[in-house]
Amino acid sequence: MNQQAEIIQVQDLRKSYGELKAVDGVSFSVSSGEVFGILGPNGAGKTTTVEILEGMRAPDSGSAVINGIDVRKDPRAVKKVIGIQLQSSAFFDRLNLTEILDVMGSLYHREIDAMDLLRDVELDDRANALFKDLSGGQKQRFSVASTLVNDPILLFLDEPTTGLDPQARRHMWALVQRFKSEGRTVLLTTHYMEEAEELCDRVAIMDHGKIVAMDRPAALVESLLSKGFRKEHTEKLANLEDVFLDLTGRELRDE
Amino acid sequence: MLKHLFQTNPTLSLTRASMKIWFRDRQAIFWTFFLPVVLISVFGLLDFGAFRTVDLGMVDLANNDASRKLIGEVRALGTFDISEDLSEDEEREALLDGDRDLVLIIEPGFGEEQSPVRRQVTVVYNQGRAQESAAGQTIIQHVLDGMTFAEGNISERYSIKALPVDSRNLKFIDFLMPGVVAMSIMQMGLFSVAFSFVQLKSRGVLRRLKATPVLPASFIFAQVFIRLTVSILQTLVLVGLAVVAFDVHLEGNLGFMLLLALLGGGVFVSMGFAVSGWARTEDVAAPVANAIALPMMFLSGVFFPRDAMPGPLRAVADFLPLSYLADALRNVAVDGASLWSQWDNVLGLTVWLAITFFIAVRLFRWE
Repeated sequence: MNQQAEIIQVQDLRKSYGELKAVDGVSFSVSSGEVFGILGPNGAGKTTTVEILEGMRAPDSGSAVINGIDVRKDPRAVKKVIGIQLQSSAFFDRLNLTEILDVMGSLYHREIDAMDLLRDVELDDRANALFKDLSGGQKQRFSVASTLVNDPILLFLDEPTTGLDPQARRHMWALVQRFKSEGRTVLLTTHYMEEAEELCDRVAIMDHGKIVAMDRPAALVESLLSKGFRKEHTEKLANLEDVFLDLTGRELRDE
Repeated sequence: MLKHLFQTNPTLSLTRASMKIWFRDRQAIFWTFFLPVVLISVFGLLDFGAFRTVDLGMVDLANNDASRKLIGEVRALGTFDISEDLSEDEEREALLDGDRDLVLIIEPGFGEEQSPVRRQVTVVYNQGRAQESAAGQTIIQHVLDGMTFAEGNISERYSIKALPVDSRNLKFIDFLMPGVVAMSIMQMGLFSVAFSFVQLKSRGVLRRLKATPVLPASFIFAQVFIRLTVSILQTLVLVGLAVVAFDVHLEGNLGFMLLLALLGGGVFVSMGFAVSGWARTEDVAAPVANAIALPMMFLSGVFFPRDAMPGPLRAVADFLPLSYLADALRNVAVDGASLWSQWDNVLGLTVWLAITFFIAVRLFRWE
């Protein structure tokens, strides 16, 4: 595996839809092994940026290099080394989870151990189930498992915990932390600030197609505090989510 | 080894997956096989237009040697569908109900000296079934003539030397079967592609595939391959059913029919892709596919020959792809035509394939 110091290099990326500048001059880079978060309100251009990096969408201008490969020149070569979890994933009807993973693996010319991947996301007991019969959290976990069929060096997770209950979200966090410990690079987008704080080595905050801030979460908080910002109420030592998890446990629930 | 190949080659693996998906879809199986099978069975069983066995009722009121001899001889012919256990009233009732073509009544005194009906029988016949009742009367007259000659001891009789020939007795089912094959291929190609592809598109399955390095060609190949395979299966099942269960004479080469099924399948699969490229949701794809299929079903001579159509309508109908496919299949199946003698129909289908393929490629969208 040809691992480079900077696995993602983005230079002045631009993409417009008519008048709307969805991505307006975005530049950043991500080091190998990093968990990098792109935060921002809806419509900030997060997904468009990520889709350009994934080779799913062509930019109007600018460059994106993944693992030394120019995405615009060879999107297929990029797709071979990355794993993409789309915001809403769908799979073939009438194939069970094992069969879907086998097909997904074949798309990378790989013979995979589907049960092994399902065990990784705690879905081995649903191996013969259909995707449509899974719960929301299970669907999301399966979707993550499907991105691992090619043992990617870089994972794109687009809002991986949106719509999940606290238990399922914690489980997803543990998965991301495991990917990091396995040496994979992860780029994720999220709405949840505590998620970014918990998982990301660095975050970029996007708004109106531009990156408005980029640093380690702690450093961003530092610089805000140094500007004299004070919260009106000091943070409690626990919040409602902690109460919820204390009462209902951290075990995964499958509705 | 083969298993490994199927698990590591995207095209083979997608083809196998499409195969599984297709054959697990009960609704698709229903429309593709069950419905045309029912259609062929219904028309095969009805079998209208053919000369049926003559239904004869016999009432023996004389009940003597002569009457028993006559009845015995008629029975021995084996040409009639005979009923002989009912009373005269019951037989006349059955005749009025249309359950008999004619009723032979042997009056008391038949064959007895002095009796006015010594040499006479009564036949009551169904005027509405002129052909059957006339044939029946002729046969009975023939039996009576035989008895007459026997009484006169005439040994040298003029006779017919009958030579059997296996003729081609075309029934409606012979005409219908190739049409139903063509129609089924159209329905399968058009609807199964249009529906399933729009569904894959609107649900985001195609997007998920686009996130992998798979080439579009691999995926399209799998989709087309399974449907052409099904069009071959449809042809085999429907022709097999018609030949085995309904005695349809297959004059032509089955191989030619399968080649035509492939070509026709190609036309309608492309048409399905064109519809699914254009339509964003299933709700749009359904009426569009119906708007294409329904007129063709009635204009292309699937159920009735196009000869009966008014001129201008026929001029249009002749150029429909389903007309070319149904005509070619019918000419091969019924007349035993060769594939090259059908060059005009094959050319028509090929032109349609080029047109629909071009439109399908132009309208194709992954998302």
